[in-house]
Amino acid sequence: MYKKTTIYLSIIFLLVIIPQLSVSAQVDEFKMANKFYQSKDYDSAIRLYKSILKQGRESAALYYNLGNAYFKKGDIGHAVLYYLKAKRLDPSDDDIRQNLKFAKQFSKIQMEGVTLNPINSFFVNIVDPYRLSTLAWISSIFFILFFVLLIIRYGIGINTIFVKIGIIVLLILLVISSSLTTFKYHNEYIIHRAVIVSENSSVYTGPSNHSDIEFEGVSGLVVEILGESSNYYHVLFENKRQGWIKKEYLAKI
Amino acid sequence: MIRKISSYLLLFLSLFIFYYPQVNASPKDITISVSLDRDTIGMDEQATLQVVISGSVQNLPAPRIPTLPMFEVYSQGRSSNISIVNGQVSSSLTYQYLLLPQKPGIFPISHISMVYNNKRYEGNTVELTVLNNGTATTPKLSYESQGKNGQKKDYFLEAVVDKKNPYVNEQVTLTLKFYITVQYYGSPQLSEPTTTGFWTEVLGNKTPYYQRIGNRNYKVVERQYALFPTQTGKLTIGRAAIKTTVAIQSRNRDPFSVFGNIFNQGRNVTIRSRPVTIDVKPLPEKGKPKNFSGTIGKFNISATANKYSVEINQPVSVTVKISGTGNIKSVAEPVMPQLTDFRIYKESSNENIAKQNGKISGTKIYKEVFIPKRPGKLQIPSIGFNYFDPQQSKYKKIATRPINLNVIKPEGYTTSTELPYPSPEIVIGSKINDIRYIKNKIGKTSPIGSLTVTSPLYVIINGLPVMIFVGLVFIRRRREKLNADIGYARSRIASKMARKRLAKAKSMANIKTGSDFYAEIYNALISYIADKLNISPYGLTIDKVKELLGTKTQNPLLIDDVIGLFQKCDYVRYAPSSITQEDIDQALQKAEKIMIAFEEVKFV
Repeated sequence: MYKKTTIYLSIIFLLVIIPQLSVSAQVDEFKMANKFYQSKDYDSAIRLYKSILKQGRESAALYYNLGNAYFKKGDIGHAVLYYLKAKRLDPSDDDIRQNLKFAKQFSKIQMEGVTLNPINSFFVNIVDPYRLSTLAWISSIFFILFFVLLIIRYGIGINTIFVKIGIIVLLILLVISSSLTTFKYHNEYIIHRAVIVSENSSVYTGPSNHSDIEFEGVSGLVVEILGESSNYYHVLFENKRQGWIKKEYLAKI
Repeated sequence: MIRKISSYLLLFLSLFIFYYPQVNASPKDITISVSLDRDTIGMDEQATLQVVISGSVQNLPAPRIPTLPMFEVYSQGRSSNISIVNGQVSSSLTYQYLLLPQKPGIFPISHISMVYNNKRYEGNTVELTVLNNGTATTPKLSYESQGKNGQKKDYFLEAVVDKKNPYVNEQVTLTLKFYITVQYYGSPQLSEPTTTGFWTEVLGNKTPYYQRIGNRNYKVVERQYALFPTQTGKLTIGRAAIKTTVAIQSRNRDPFSVFGNIFNQGRNVTIRSRPVTIDVKPLPEKGKPKNFSGTIGKFNISATANKYSVEINQPVSVTVKISGTGNIKSVAEPVMPQLTDFRIYKESSNENIAKQNGKISGTKIYKEVFIPKRPGKLQIPSIGFNYFDPQQSKYKKIATRPINLNVIKPEGYTTSTELPYPSPEIVIGSKINDIRYIKNKIGKTSPIGSLTVTSPLYVIINGLPVMIFVGLVFIRRRREKLNADIGYARSRIASKMARKRLAKAKSMANIKTGSDFYAEIYNALISYIADKLNISPYGLTIDKVKELLGTKTQNPLLIDDVIGLFQKCDYVRYAPSSITQEDIDQALQKAEKIMIAFEEVKFV
């Protein structure tokens, strides 16, 4: 009896401690990378940050620091890429927003005539400062409350005026919040975005280098991937221009 | 001896008699002054003779110029000037004559006289030396004008500086002289000389004049530059060039062709000057003040305030003015004294440059705002300024006079360090220069690509209320249906009750309790059918059952079985002794068989 308890306890202990150990290893690696960054050895910093990513873990701060290291190296494309990844995980972080904005200024081409669909940009502005998970949990709360009221109304059979109004109000809130969540999810995960990470990446009119060159892309430009053909991506630029770029010039967010 | 003395006396007397009345009778103030613009000229040059007759009388006649056989004389006109001072009229007349030498030598010019009121006035004697060579002052000129084949050039460009050995930053006047004796078309185009190492200011063109060189009259166009050398050592002023179109002089001029010159074609020529080298000397070290700014020329300094009585913490504008000749642009700002009683702010500075008589002069004005910090009689001390005077080769120090200010303390003023308009020392704009620094903490990590909406926790939490709701609604629906439909309920519990009764009947399945067994079988079946058909079991006869079953089922065998069993039960009830164990077992089997068959029949 005593032996059995010890075994169970040690199993629980290991189950709790092993992930903790790996977490502390990631923290150590992160701190080491920060030290490399501090001593301006950006290549080593990037290698260490990426080794954390290879362990299958991500965090906004990790992507943010990676972006900083790439920026300091002068690689605007990767800097923008990792800032965008960081922003997706934590859109409320002001440091990430600032550095993304700052890094984008260094892109040699600034897109002109960026005209977003007003409705689309309205919703983007609403959901932009919130994480997808925040929106999802807000929707979830409304969903649960809505069902609690449904249970009261139909499961138990209490049908007062408060329950009726509550159901309508919660239904409206649920529709709004879940639409926004869906929009955000669609905007950030279903639509595939990518960043040009290579200088002098030609944008062709078709998926081969025999096509005409539409214009010369530069690193740091953000594009939406519309489709692909052999080793080319069909991309849409922020100002609605389209073209084909070699896959190796792009990095997906 | 006496004869000798008497002859002397006679001469003296005769002279006296001859001269005295004239001298005595003439108004003392009539004078004739004769002057030449230059004492020595070359054969190619010309001199201007100026005769000024002045006196306190009007209507002075023109002077008589004696024949000067060794010169060609041209009158250049006259100018008069009349002034009235204290009721006394005085007038002066200036006559100018151009003298062109005919041969070299030293020629006195005398006996220029004038007769007024029958009296003769004579001017002073001047001497003009005519040199044998072309020019006296600029020997280069003859060289410049000399063509290759000894012929005089039709045109040439000469660059002359007034100083060959100036101080650094001292003005050197460069004069470009364009001599031309042939006809030219259009306006000549000038390429300015390169003046590297100088700060250059163009002084402008002079009115063209004519000069005779040899036997030719040249038109001379002068252009002047003020050059300020900015470095010491040898500096070269580059060539200037003039492009123009000149008329081609035909050598074999047809004496009978009147129009020959009209149809002459032009020829484009470029006329270049020679580069001029000057040697710039540095300023002497002797007597050089500390922090000397290098300003050269001749300057004055003055300082004025816009008000001399002021409230505390109110601004006073002080204007410091430096004016004079020299490179005004290089005038350094005077050093303001450090004052504890004032805050000092620069307000503005401006300069204006004038070009007069080939010299650069101008004024530089600095405006400073003095804000007195305490009340009382305060003084802005004199502001000093150093410059180098190249004419005297001396450093000079000038200074403004101190300005006395009466600073008043207004009513209710409390000493405060606040300025009337506080200005921050450093303004940090919103423009960012670098990215923000990295984060120290990794924060919460999550598996790459993990999404809340697809996590099991999220699905369970959201799925749970749905399942609870669906479950509750299902249960409630069922209950409602049961409540609302007794027939359905009876039909649902019918077989349950029938089985219970059959089980009870089974326990009585022996000969001793045979009649009870049959009664139980009968009740079970009859109530089962009543429940299924949702009718009262009381008063239900065998015929009625047969009739009802006939409408519900098309299985006549089942009806026959039911009726058969009922009749058997009836029969046993009235004759209990005839029951055998075999009958009992058969009845039980039949009852069970009927029950199973009835389950498949839809009654409702």
